[in-house]
Amino acid sequence: MTAQALQQRDLAVVIGLEVHVQLETDTKIFCGCSTESADDEAPNTRTCPVCLGLPGALPVLNEAAVEAAVKVGKALDADIAEETRFHRKNYYYPDLPKNFQITQYDAPICADGALEVSVEDDRREIGIGRAHLEEDPGSLQHEGGSIETADHTLVDYNRAGTPLMEIVTEPDFRGPGEVRAFLAKLEEVLEYLGVFDASRDGSLRIDANISLMPADEMADDGSVDEAALEAANRTEVKNISSHKGAEKALAYEVTRQKNAVERGREIEQETRHWDESRGITVSMRSKEEEKDYRYFREADLPPLQVADWKERIPIPELPDARRERFREAYGLDAEAAAKLTSTKEVADFFEDVADRFDAGLAATWVADDLLGELNYRDMTITDVSGRLDEFARLIELVDTDEITEKNAREVVLRTMLDEGHTPEEVVEREGLGKAGDDAVAAAVEAAIEENPDAVEDYHDGEGGALNFLVGQVMSKTGGSADPGTVNGLLRERLDE
Amino acid sequence: MSVDAFITEETIQGADDGPLADRTVAIKDNISTAGVRTTCGSEMLADYVPPYDATVVERLKRAGATLVGKTNMDEFGMGTTTETSAFGPTKNPVDESRVPGGSSGGSAAAVAAGEADVALGSDTGGSVRCPAAFCGVVGIKPTYGLVSRYGLVAYANSLEQIGPLAPTVEGAAEVLDVIAGPDERDATTREAGADADYASAADGDVEGLSIGVPTELIEGADERVIERFEATLDDLRAQGAETHEVSLPSVERAVQAYYVIAMSEASSNLARFDGVRYGPETDADGNWNDSFAQVREEGFGDEVKRRILLGTYALSAGYHDKYYAKAQDARAWLKQDFDEALAEADVLASPTMPVLPFELGESLDDPLQMYLADANTVPVNLANLPAVSVPAGRADGLPVGFQLIGSAFGEREIIRAASAVEN
Ligand SMILES: [Zn+2]
Repeated sequence: MTAQALQQRDLAVVIGLEVHVQLETDTKIFCGCSTESADDEAPNTRTCPVCLGLPGALPVLNEAAVEAAVKVGKALDADIAEETRFHRKNYYYPDLPKNFQITQYDAPICADGALEVSVEDDRREIGIGRAHLEEDPGSLQHEGGSIETADHTLVDYNRAGTPLMEIVTEPDFRGPGEVRAFLAKLEEVLEYLGVFDASRDGSLRIDANISLMPADEMADDGSVDEAALEAANRTEVKNISSHKGAEKALAYEVTRQKNAVERGREIEQETRHWDESRGITVSMRSKEEEKDYRYFREADLPPLQVADWKERIPIPELPDARRERFREAYGLDAEAAAKLTSTKEVADFFEDVADRFDAGLAATWVADDLLGELNYRDMTITDVSGRLDEFARLIELVDTDEITEKNAREVVLRTMLDEGHTPEEVVEREGLGKAGDDAVAAAVEAAIEENPDAVEDYHDGEGGALNFLVGQVMSKTGGSADPGTVNGLLRERLDE
Repeated sequence: MSVDAFITEETIQGADDGPLADRTVAIKDNISTAGVRTTCGSEMLADYVPPYDATVVERLKRAGATLVGKTNMDEFGMGTTTETSAFGPTKNPVDESRVPGGSSGGSAAAVAAGEADVALGSDTGGSVRCPAAFCGVVGIKPTYGLVSRYGLVAYANSLEQIGPLAPTVEGAAEVLDVIAGPDERDATTREAGADADYASAADGDVEGLSIGVPTELIEGADERVIERFEATLDDLRAQGAETHEVSLPSVERAVQAYYVIAMSEASSNLARFDGVRYGPETDADGNWNDSFAQVREEGFGDEVKRRILLGTYALSAGYHDKYYAKAQDARAWLKQDFDEALAEADVLASPTMPVLPFELGESLDDPLQMYLADANTVPVNLANLPAVSVPAGRADGLPVGFQLIGSAFGEREIIRAASAVEN
């Protein structure tokens, strides 16, 4: 379509994604090297002959990576292949140890799936064409500049061989907001499956294909004609690494392309690089000829039969289902249910305490108090993973009336987070334990003795007198007595 | 006088005792040896020292063997004469004006010249059997999956196996006993045949053995070779074996299919040699593609470049279906033909090489002649089957090899039959 022809028509945005996700496994996909990178790790130390691609080394498939992929397939409601089959994708690039990548080609482990996302109040189903397993290349370090200007480039193979899943969506997105919602949902699902760690550097890499199409060529149901899409000039945006980044990069692209069309300029078919720090996309190379990867079967990896893995491998309840269940089972409102299922760890913790103590109390404590205080400190539940027990005990102290809710929230929880103490330590140190029965009884006796006027007023039927006496008892016990109990004890004693 | 069998002579001492404690072993220079350079006969790897041992090397050391050096070979295994080595040719100890065969020519020559008791070679399309035949020693190409390839620098990974060379069938079988069996580092290895005790099969007892002779593998062979082959069959019949003709119609496509597959795989397997970690220093400027190209231009010899280019072409879009896919079909048919022939016979027999050893230099200018010499060996690799080449006397003073092909993991049968040829 010429620029002029586009200029005169309303434009619709069509986006498809290729999402590379690092799968969380203990070891790399084809060797025994760890996937866990230490912060101060030296380059090329977490390697072996296999992931270095040394002559003679052979890949051996890590079944844990296949298991993780099957879980993803189940969560995306995809068809799972009967057997794994790997191909070599041949191309020369300095970060590729063997100058080919072992990947899946004609028989991806997952095909034909979908993920439903909510965008504002709209439910949208995004088709997943395929999702396949492959190995991550190494990483390049351009010394003294960018890829264009560097004096030389160093190669680090520590990352090489990390299991990757490439998830390819259908061109089902009609705007950057949908892309963001989809990616956030995908991350959430992957995290629930326990196959993904968003905090890991490079754990999510996104390439987006974006085309502007005449709006009248879109079908009424929003679907897009394949031939028309083929005919539109497509821009591939690379180097996106988060759902927020994806929304920004694509919003930038939509504006850039619409401006180009308005000015009567052709949109070039090209690859662009998202420059996160500058917030713009930059042309990498224009109209490069179609790459020929010369795919062929990887004979070193015999097929692994996985026909029954879909049955065999369980996946946890996914976030949408869990939200629904929480609302029903615990009587939560939508907002609380959403908060309490925001990550699997939060949901598991809530469910644990809700089942042990009062569910309403648990919901308030987890959704509002714990998450609120964490959020205030720029922390998430993963930062206190090892201390969930302590928080459960704090809720228990409240549930069993051993400390007041106010003290638990304002003193104990905050001190626990700020100083790292256990709830018992804080209670002990601050003397927050509710006063013992004897102490309360003694305080009641003392209050009656010391305030004969108030006692008389009480007997005369003056309502304020009892409250005054309760206040006296509370002050004598340093606020650690339960006001309801004090009230009862006073009445009992005065009515004798 | 030396026949130039070795690229690197270096002694690596194995365990104090074990089944190979009194044996010296020469190792083809495409099998990784920790700390000892492993060149694959190429300038590209002239300085490459592996940090790890191939599984077979580990097993030999554990069995008490003494490794005596790394043997010459056609560059990356690509050749039938050992003349494509960047380190110069090896001479045939039987006749030093002749080639030792290839690509494991150094290993065969070392054994034939008595410079090692036994040797390891690798066989992608005949590279153990051809030099065994040309040098008058025994060479075994095991069933694909019997011996670990971990540490074998790949030429065509779907086709090749490491195999032993020795003066006698029993000697070769003793080495096979040590190196055979599954390896968790090579996913294509199998449990089958792991503890078969191959040496004990070399008992020469062929009474009642049924030998199929594929007519297609006799046609076109040098008459002097055929004469020795027939004499050997007579001898086996005299020992109680039965022979009959079988047909493998699809072998006429085998050489084409073999070269398409081997070159395709090679184009990928050798892609990693790009100058980043291996290869000569060059003065290339420009981008890394220019630099990669320059290193490969300088580091690879002509035959390797030829095969990489042809393999790249055969896998390219638009040609993949015409060449690579067709070759895979031919491979499947060939397997079927072998299955049928082996349903009617215990083993199959043919001349190992249809020709006598070439004169040094004779075949270098005519790659096609070299490729066609592999006609009897490549079908075995395409079908993943085991085969052995055993000396069948001499013609005009030059060794002739007799090839026996078995069913998958049928090494004991071919070892038994081959030991009868020695009788
Ligand atoms: Zn590794």
